[in-house]
Amino acid sequence: MVNDAGQLYTMEGIAAGVIMLLTAYIVVSTTSVYTAGDTHIPDMQLEQLGSDVLAMMDTPDTNRGTSELVGFVKNGTRVMMGGNTLRDRFLAGCKMRSGDPDDNLRAQVYLSYRTTGGSVNTTPLSSPDPEFTGRENTVRVTRWVQLPTEKPPGIPIDMSNTRSKAVLVEVLLWRA
Amino acid sequence: MACMNEDGQWIVLMGLLVAVGMFFLALIINQSALVGQTTAEGVLEFSKNDIRDLREAVFDYVNASTTLAPGQCADIQKDIVAISLERKNAVVSFSAGDPQHVSGRWLHPVKIHYNNGVTVYNETVYY
Amino acid sequence: MLSLDFLVGFTIFMLALIMVVSMVPGLLAGLESSGIDYDAVAYRTGVILVEDPGWPVYPPWEMNDPDHKDEIQRMGLAVSKETPNILLSAKVERFFEAGFFAPEDYRSKAIFGDIPYSYNFSLNISNPDGSYELNQTGDPLPPGYGYIRRVVKIKEPGVAEIGYDDDYNDTTLNPSIPPMFTVRLNFSQLLNQSVSAAYRIDPRTDPVTVNINMTGYLIDSNTGATLQNVTFWKMDPTRPNPRFTRIPFSYDTTDPDLYTLRIDGTQTPHSLKPDVPVNSNISLVLNPAATSLFTLDQNSILDIRFVFDDSPDQRTTLNGTYDYDDDILPVLSTGVLEVAIW
Repeated sequence: MVNDAGQLYTMEGIAAGVIMLLTAYIVVSTTSVYTAGDTHIPDMQLEQLGSDVLAMMDTPDTNRGTSELVGFVKNGTRVMMGGNTLRDRFLAGCKMRSGDPDDNLRAQVYLSYRTTGGSVNTTPLSSPDPEFTGRENTVRVTRWVQLPTEKPPGIPIDMSNTRSKAVLVEVLLWRA
Repeated sequence: MACMNEDGQWIVLMGLLVAVGMFFLALIINQSALVGQTTAEGVLEFSKNDIRDLREAVFDYVNASTTLAPGQCADIQKDIVAISLERKNAVVSFSAGDPQHVSGRWLHPVKIHYNNGVTVYNETVYY
Repeated sequence: MLSLDFLVGFTIFMLALIMVVSMVPGLLAGLESSGIDYDAVAYRTGVILVEDPGWPVYPPWEMNDPDHKDEIQRMGLAVSKETPNILLSAKVERFFEAGFFAPEDYRSKAIFGDIPYSYNFSLNISNPDGSYELNQTGDPLPPGYGYIRRVVKIKEPGVAEIGYDDDYNDTTLNPSIPPMFTVRLNFSQLLNQSVSAAYRIDPRTDPVTVNINMTGYLIDSNTGATLQNVTFWKMDPTRPNPRFTRIPFSYDTTDPDLYTLRIDGTQTPHSLKPDVPVNSNISLVLNPAATSLFTLDQNSILDIRFVFDDSPDQRTTLNGTYDYDDDILPVLSTGVLEVAIW
């Protein structure tokens, strides 16, 4: 005859086990709380904003008009209306708000192209930001641009000067 | 403790019940944190802006193909494919066929393929 | 003496209490995370407003009057779905029009959420002349709201400004024929599909505005000319024997929903049979509500004919046909749309 006196021991054991598991789970789960910083939301907002601004800079204001963005890229690293102006106009677009401008945004413009050798090279188009450390939480937004035969000034000589080409304007955007 | 006095067992049971109930409630509330996170990640992962930009680049390429020499067009196509792979980790291919008569206009059938490992996008569009 | 059962029960109770206390940060994160959810809703609302033309598309939702606003399914502001980030000014005006939409309309036609979210939409347009134009609707912002900012361009309707031009100054006109000035809207030209919708005039959705400056066309600027009537004619070139036919229309009733005709800059609008003297200018705005009554398609040609009364003797030399085309579109202006949800 089997004695059922051990049943309560079993129940107790199971209860203790469950309680221990729950406690362990709770301890682990409460230490990894999702915070707004983890959720990439600021990244998403910044990326959307940057993409919008680049797309709008690439949209001519009139039919048969020309794209502002392509104009800047054609001027390469030239001081006037070149990469730096591109960066400044881009930032002006990003900072626009209905209230005070959103002033602590920074950007850096790069250009990627296929070299005459066939590899892909990336060169800065705007002058480097002295406060950029490389540790900032940046987002990268890009836009395709078609360039005519002439190589824009200030671009390394391995960019073809004999054919029209498609290049990629890359903008690093971050909050200072 | 076991077999000593079983009158208080309901306390054990109730305690367990309440604990489990509270645990589930808290779990449900905790889940809502995930909603915003998954949305933001979904937006970042689905490269809508990249694909849209690529489409426009391809349309520019089709426009250019009417004026440029065929060799130059092939170069532009190579540019887009190579830079996409190198800078955006996306496999891109596209081609434009001979113009066809579509609803009163002559349009190129353009095939676009995009794959960045997360998002695959295929389209045939008349441009 | 404490019973062991009490001890066990109390332990479990304490454990549960500890669990709840330790969940408090999680609970707060849950509350905090509704802010994260707000961001997602704001993003979605931003996409709907900026990248979608809304529904119904044709006739466009912005043409519905307050009695028919229930027919609006979705309030998108984009010109077309092919042109994201380019907004149509008519849609923008209707969207921000004070008193037109109730908060419930914004929630059910733009935000689309189960929870009755509070919202604040603002669109700051920077005009080419450097001034700003701020449109806003919704409640003041509390701390901790979901937010998205979209940079857009706004397409304004075109205005045909007709000044002095030798082509329309017909000095050889036979005095017995009343001078007639025609503004021609060739739909196959205006709706040319190879032009992006951002740079196209669609008179079925955009108002047609014609301003005629009579200076130079008047034989005697003191007496002026007499504008007898304005009529609408249409032709469908794809039909056999195409010819212009007069469109039946309530020409003698003034209806600001359909058109506004002003002469010499006066405030009171005239009907299309004004028969009044003109000394300086004529301004006609034909709203899409009127154009949609004309049953025009992408092949039609619409003529707006301004007929002047010259009896007993000739008083104006304005005669000819003006082509209304998309060159009159003003440049796109830049704007920033902000959506806040909480």
